[in-house]
Amino acid sequence: MTWRSLRAVFAFVILVVLHYTLRPVLEWRTSIDFLLIALLLASVRMRPGAAAVLGFAMGLVADSLSVGAFGATLAMTVVGFSASWLRAVVFAENLVLHAAFFFAGKWLFDIIFLLVERRVKGLDLVFQLLIWSPLTAIVTALAGLLALIVMRPMLDARTG
Amino acid sequence: MARASRLDSRFDTALFAACLFLAIVVHGLPDRLREPLARGMRQTVLVPLVALQHNAGLSRAAWLSHESIARAEDSVSLQGMRNLALESENERLRRVLGLGGKLRWGFVPAEALHSGAVGDDYTLTLSAGATSGVRPFSPVVAPDGLVGMVQTVDPRMSIAIIWTHPDFRVSARAADRSAFGIVQAHQGSGSDRYLLELRGVPVRNQIRKGTLIVSSGLGGVYPEGIPIGTIVDTLRSDGYARKYLLRPSVMPSDVLSVMVLQPQRAAGGVEPVWATTVAAADSVARAAAAADSMAAARAAGAPGRPIVAEQSAVPTAGVPNATAPNATAPNAAPPGSAAAGAVIVNPDSAAAAARARALRRARRDSLHADSLRRAPRDSTPRARADSVHRAPSDSARRDTARPAPPSPTRR
Repeated sequence: MTWRSLRAVFAFVILVVLHYTLRPVLEWRTSIDFLLIALLLASVRMRPGAAAVLGFAMGLVADSLSVGAFGATLAMTVVGFSASWLRAVVFAENLVLHAAFFFAGKWLFDIIFLLVERRVKGLDLVFQLLIWSPLTAIVTALAGLLALIVMRPMLDARTG
Repeated sequence: MARASRLDSRFDTALFAACLFLAIVVHGLPDRLREPLARGMRQTVLVPLVALQHNAGLSRAAWLSHESIARAEDSVSLQGMRNLALESENERLRRVLGLGGKLRWGFVPAEALHSGAVGDDYTLTLSAGATSGVRPFSPVVAPDGLVGMVQTVDPRMSIAIIWTHPDFRVSARAADRSAFGIVQAHQGSGSDRYLLELRGVPVRNQIRKGTLIVSSGLGGVYPEGIPIGTIVDTLRSDGYARKYLLRPSVMPSDVLSVMVLQPQRAAGGVEPVWATTVAAADSVARAAAAADSMAAARAAGAPGRPIVAEQSAVPTAGVPNATAPNATAPNAAPPGSAAAGAVIVNPDSAAAAARARALRRARRDSLHADSLRRAPRDSTPRARADSVHRAPSDSARRDTARPAPPSPTRR
């Protein structure tokens, strides 16, 4: 494992730790999904297959630590694979594109998760998918950008 | 190269498919299988994350509870402040009730409203008027003593001048009847404005500091025995008369509830109402004088030699001492006690008396300083000769007489 990979792993661990320390303290209605940011940042540095495995593992962890029907496992698998595949297709080192990338990843995750979980139904589901999920995705995208800027030395990302 | 890439791509797709399949399987697991799987992970590989999450939850709970505790503390503090205000108001009202109980008849209770105008410290608006029995020139009193005099009367309200008015005069005497004079506002600059002057005291009559000055009843407006103030200093004498500085018994800013004495009540005399206050002040003044004289005797005598203090029969409560205004060494001990008569005072007890005297002096000075501090800084005296008639000369020793009613001063 190269030094560059180690730094990326370190950044990934930091984001996971933030997810389980800062997020419960903040407890916002539109909370930041640090786990998804970590997944997205890791996926773009991996092959799609490995990203899918990572997404599966992270989803399993997230589901084990929450009460639910393991919907995050499926959603993260799809998001991890898609992020890695999309990264391979569309290559860009731009902050706005990264923000859009985080936004789309989080929204996709929420859509799959809510549809698979089937806990929210009817009008509430529509509100959740069209209002709260985009808002959460925006907050997550902003946090992802901030993390990208702060951790640039570790991630070696050429933003511009 | 292309073949390797295709192989990699197929491998990735296969991995994704496998993960997707497993995710669907896990999602489809029944609760009895899913929960043990999750619990097993929480108890093994996820222990650090569980601990992190738990601690974060505790932190948030502590933060929230701190906020609620702070809110509760704020509420308690606010309640405490309200309680203090209520306590103060309760005390004030009790004192007014006590005054009403002592007066028994011939008075009108009123709320005193202070003028909001800057520098207008001379008048009070009273919430009682002619329909309640208030008449012009009626004395206005508070539990602590004299406040002023009603100047103008409307049906439902009236206006009174207070002792700070430049033309306020009241015939006064020492509580022990040792001296008579005229009390008026000091008209000093700055905070001295909130002091009173006792003028026209014959040179032969010397009044000790701490002596209570009360109304003498001469002149017919203010009945006898209402506390006016306490001697705090001696001013420069002019000719054959002495002048003294008085700390007023009633500070204008503290006046919120008053009693207006009706003419028949004023004529009937109110001396017993403040008899306790007068007697207590008299006792304090005599005790202070006794301590002073003992300390002086100790200073004059040889060290270590017992000092003999002469005992004079001095009443200590309620009875004015008209016969011994200038007693050289009155005794502070109550009559009938072991100390009555000639007593031998050793240096230790003299030192204790000196300490007690110093304490009393410090307290008096503190009260004086307090009265000065509470006075506003505006010191512009505004004569209102048009509103109140001029008092007679000091030598007449009569308080404000009853000429034609003055013109109203309300603006």
